Amino acid sequence: MKNKKIKAGNLIIHIILILYSIITLAPLITVFSSSFRTIKNQASPLILFMEFSMESYKAAFTKMAFPVVFMNSFLTTAGSLVVIVIIGAAAAYPIGRLQTKLSKFLYYFFIAGLVIPAQMVIIPVAQMFNSLNIPYTRFTPMFMFITCSMPFTTFLYAGFMKGVPVEIEEAAYMDGANLFKRFTQIVFPLLKPATVAVVITQGIWIWNDYFFPMVFITKSRQFSLPVAMIQFLGDRENPAQWNVLFASCFLCALPLITLFLIFQKQFIGGIAAGAVKG
Amino acid sequence: MKKKKKHKSLVMTNKMFWFAVPAFLMYFTFWIFPVFQLFRYSITNFNGINRNYDMVGFKNYITLYKEGTLFHAIPNTIIYAVVLVAVSNIIALALALLLNANIKGKGIYRTAAYLPTLFSAIVIGFIWSYVYMPGNGMIATIMDSLGMDGSKFNILAGFKSALYAIIAVDIWKCIGTTMIIYLAGLQTIDSSLIEAGKIDGCNGWQMIRLIKVPLISATITINVILSVINGLKAYDYVFIMTNGGPGKATNTLMYSVYKLAFTEQLMGKSAALSVVAFILIIAVTICMLIFMNKREVEM
Repeated sequence: MKNKKIKAGNLIIHIILILYSIITLAPLITVFSSSFRTIKNQASPLILFMEFSMESYKAAFTKMAFPVVFMNSFLTTAGSLVVIVIIGAAAAYPIGRLQTKLSKFLYYFFIAGLVIPAQMVIIPVAQMFNSLNIPYTRFTPMFMFITCSMPFTTFLYAGFMKGVPVEIEEAAYMDGANLFKRFTQIVFPLLKPATVAVVITQGIWIWNDYFFPMVFITKSRQFSLPVAMIQFLGDRENPAQWNVLFASCFLCALPLITLFLIFQKQFIGGIAAGAVKG
Repeated sequence: MKKKKKHKSLVMTNKMFWFAVPAFLMYFTFWIFPVFQLFRYSITNFNGINRNYDMVGFKNYITLYKEGTLFHAIPNTIIYAVVLVAVSNIIALALALLLNANIKGKGIYRTAAYLPTLFSAIVIGFIWSYVYMPGNGMIATIMDSLGMDGSKFNILAGFKSALYAIIAVDIWKCIGTTMIIYLAGLQTIDSSLIEAGKIDGCNGWQMIRLIKVPLISATITINVILSVINGLKAYDYVFIMTNGGPGKATNTLMYSVYKLAFTEQLMGKSAALSVVAFILIIAVTICMLIFMNKREVEM
């Protein structure tokens, strides 16, 4: 009797979840299937997977100069992440370890910036770039990517730092290790789960961000992937252009989706880690 | 060597603060200092390019008030934040509770709910422009095939519906992350408490309301705070899908700030609006922290 009840309950759960998944995925699947059509095919996109052609992908590939913009995106994202991990973990070291007023101040100082929207400070920031004589290149947005990642990164590292026993460091101190050595060779390697979480969460938003590159980059050879998409803005109202537009949408998202499908466990764990540790 | 005696710990010395210097400098120069600059720009007629500007006093604030920019941007932003927070958290929590049950194919459902999070806002804007498109769009076509009149469907052009249509897109995107955080929170619940509940004869709903939800109140706090911050920053889908239109129906604070600065080149006015937005954001955050802290203790 009880078993039957549980089975009926599970069935209802499955039905709800399937319905939810269909509603969530419907736009993505429709767009995905249309991206495999020939450019001229204007039949309703709701007829799923009616043909399989790479023509739209080829057109999108050349229109957005995919290899160039992909490399730009890849270099800025990877470069930013390296700097974020290094200076973020370092900044969290005193915040997580010391119990002084200054360390508390730093903690709230970094967290407070989380509420500031990028649109608000963008012009003063541009003025700052001018006065510091920072040229506008494909790497200029990296300054902002690194800066904007600091609240979450220091918060996460400081949280994980509490799980690294102080005794290990004391032992290293007895063995004559200086501060720098203790941090780089003992504490930082033990923070690997935090590093994974930082790389995943910050990597996703940096890869997808279009605002900073859009403001700071004017030459199309320096565009990142999402900014290269902005030139399609006029095409979205025109059904004749849809198949190419949809193909470019998936070209833009493909790298992250591939990484997600390979490292699913790390992605889910990384996203959860931030909130649970806090 | 003499100095060391002053510190409590020989190992954890104040020298550690040197590690924070690079991050601090960068963060201060490119994030905190610019906020203070805004206060200065807000009383000038700076256009964003020409550095020879004059002080104009509170003129910018007065124009913002007189033109009514404040009276549609602030309510729009607040509606955006409230709807986003309420709907996305309720759906995400419900999903997490369902996924936390012992069922097959959990991973597939989780992936399905999470997938939208991986797309760039610009791509999502394009995809949903197609979904909402009148005539040939996805929803209009589905309505046609169901025998309803799809040709009248034009949600982004309606003064009342456009804002909600855009919020729906944001909800669709952010549920994945929120759900994952709730799921992680639910998994930290000690299974002995669930067992105890079962022995005491809790039914499913009582279990959720009286045991599970109170136990993840810290997770709820974090998710609500994160979505409120997200909602107050609302900008992406307004920029990509409606440009603030029809009329000013979807003008949010951040979109107005952007438009004043970049399209109309009125940096002084944009800075004044930023200051107003900044005060609003700080006020909301502080109220929320106080309220949430109180609730968590009560629970």
